[in-house]
Amino acid sequence: MASVSANFVCSRTSVRLPNQLWQMITSKSLRLATVGWGRTPGFPRLSSSRFQISCAAKKETVDKVCEIVRKQLALPADKEITPQTTFTDLGADSLDTVEIVMGLEEEFDITVQEDNQDNISCIQEAADLIEQLVANKS
Amino acid sequence: MGASTKPRLSGMQLQVLALYRGFLRAARMKSPEERSRIEALVSQEFRRNSSQVDRKNYLYIEYLVRRGKKQLDQLKSPETVGLASLNVEASQAKTS
Repeated sequence: MASVSANFVCSRTSVRLPNQLWQMITSKSLRLATVGWGRTPGFPRLSSSRFQISCAAKKETVDKVCEIVRKQLALPADKEITPQTTFTDLGADSLDTVEIVMGLEEEFDITVQEDNQDNISCIQEAADLIEQLVANKS
Repeated sequence: MGASTKPRLSGMQLQVLALYRGFLRAARMKSPEERSRIEALVSQEFRRNSSQVDRKNYLYIEYLVRRGKKQLDQLKSPETVGLASLNVEASQAKTS
């Protein structure tokens, strides 16, 4: 289609040629450019990978966290734990939360700083923090 | 003491939690059976205080935190091998 219109434009006067052709070229080339960028290890790839790391923790990390939480709080096996469950939903008070974080520290061999500890309220947050600390450590 | 909603734990609550954390970290350095004994004792003590002590009784809470810190320092020393506690039941009628 582009080639047809380009031919059409070519028949016009040379003054108008650059504008319309330029628009067509840019509209086509923009699409081409995005595909091209995606192939090279350039910006979109980098930002998307970074976005993934900060967005969600790995499944097995979340599962391990769930296991530890279950063990610490002595939950019955049928109790449902989703990554969004907060510790207080499971009946934990702040002392229990400290215990859970200590258990996680031991399991993953990390050290959680004081100010980070107070921000953890649900399982997803804990898993994210763990991922971040493990990534920083290695 | 339990700040069940996540926003803002008070400074005193944060101190208590930091103390609890300190105890758990110190307990890791002892032998395994001593460690479980320390953890059981400390968590029992903290929970009992959290339910029995009035939240507004700042003076008593500060005293407990100070005492806890001293006990923690003693526990941290490598010469200390364990922690034990003695429960004394004081009968109310005997006090003046």
